[in-house]
Amino acid sequence: MTDKTNAESGETTHFGFETVNKNQKESLVRGVFDSVASRYDVMNDLMSAGIHRLWKRFTIELSAVRPGQTVLDIAGGTGDLAAKFSHLVGDDGQVLLADINDSMLKVGRDRLLDSGAVGNLHMVQCDAQMLPFPDASIDCITIAFGLRNVTDKDMALRSMERILKPGGRLLVLEFSKPVNPVLEKIYDTYSFRILPMMGQLIANDADSYRYLAESIRKHPDQETLLGMMEDAGLVNCEYHNMTGGIVAVHRGIKA
Amino acid sequence: MNTDHDPAVITAVLMAAEGAINRSLELDPASARDLTDLSGTVLAVECWAPALEIFAIVEADGQLHLTSYSEQPCSVRVRGGLSDFLTLATAEDPAVTLINSDLEIIGNSAPLIALQTIVAKMQPDWEAPLVEVLGDVAGHQLANLLRQIFRWGQTSSQSLRRQLSEFILEEGRLSPPAAELEYFYQEIDTLVLKVDRLESRLKRLAHRVDNQIQ
Repeated sequence: MTDKTNAESGETTHFGFETVNKNQKESLVRGVFDSVASRYDVMNDLMSAGIHRLWKRFTIELSAVRPGQTVLDIAGGTGDLAAKFSHLVGDDGQVLLADINDSMLKVGRDRLLDSGAVGNLHMVQCDAQMLPFPDASIDCITIAFGLRNVTDKDMALRSMERILKPGGRLLVLEFSKPVNPVLEKIYDTYSFRILPMMGQLIANDADSYRYLAESIRKHPDQETLLGMMEDAGLVNCEYHNMTGGIVAVHRGIKA
Repeated sequence: MNTDHDPAVITAVLMAAEGAINRSLELDPASARDLTDLSGTVLAVECWAPALEIFAIVEADGQLHLTSYSEQPCSVRVRGGLSDFLTLATAEDPAVTLINSDLEIIGNSAPLIALQTIVAKMQPDWEAPLVEVLGDVAGHQLANLLRQIFRWGQTSSQSLRRQLSEFILEEGRLSPPAAELEYFYQEIDTLVLKVDRLESRLKRLAHRVDNQIQ
């Protein structure tokens, strides 16, 4: 559906806790990531106390990527997953680092070049809802902390399923719903009080980090996302809760 | 797949252990060289209680990669309880421990013994990876605690082994001392030789008597 028809039909979606027109969300999300791109990694370390590295490492383990394979890292941001995949696929494989946001992609490209991860890495600026790759061309797709920012998640999941090779796997690493009510209370206090304050102090941008906290709450919980992946045509779908369900990694296989 | 534990916790422990081992390898060229010879080895460790499965993969560059999930074919898989694994990890002679323990081994045990020997020889630096993850203050405190526990474990294990040995030999008289046993075996060997000689002599005499009768 085009922006024009969205605007005309008045279809809405959420941007954090706000309800906005569907065609507005993309530019609003872009604004958030343009604002945080330069300090994204520092903030990730601060916000998660470094635990995001453990979540990403387990996601890479679940991908079981082998040398020679083609991996697409959607919303790859500053390229930390792509750097690891580049090592795993070797010279005969390739890694496609995709992000809709130009600022994040530039930070990622510079960081990967500086770390020496070159040769089998390619940057693609594209929309997860309309992935510009041939059918059945990718062995593994990962999207880490990116799906909740996508306007139409079902459309994005269908697009991912389309380009996966049969037997290929999709891994979605995303914030989710804590399984323990006490942990949920602590997590809520942290997200809505401490996180924006940290955003203000470190990145001088409390609003963007408030959006991050709100977007996490609007994101589908573990079981809902599992159902969405099955609806998109993926099979053998499963998920693993991490850090008490604050984060979950979902895995689905292309039939 | 480890379904009973939080993957983030297991990953943290494995990352710290992997970092410590690989750092020790960097400072121990001989062990690093030995490990390179095992390149491509995938060791699966399956513990029943607590239920846990981990994989040790020797990379082509001689680094050890520890992971809680792997789809690579295993060179060797070891199953057992935590106490069996701890005994193996601290064993002076891993081959003997493997044979005598309740561990179940599927596959070739040679890379397992080689890997255990290399890792047992190393003196890992626990502090560097912990400081990297947790910062100077918390990392140093935790490393100190781990060092103390490790030292206490080693001392206690040595002390327990010595005291048990003394009790069995001296107090309980449940088993004879090694020297006494050795002397007993020598006596048996001498007796066996004497019996053999006597048997030969009797045969020779019997043969002579047979010849005289004919």
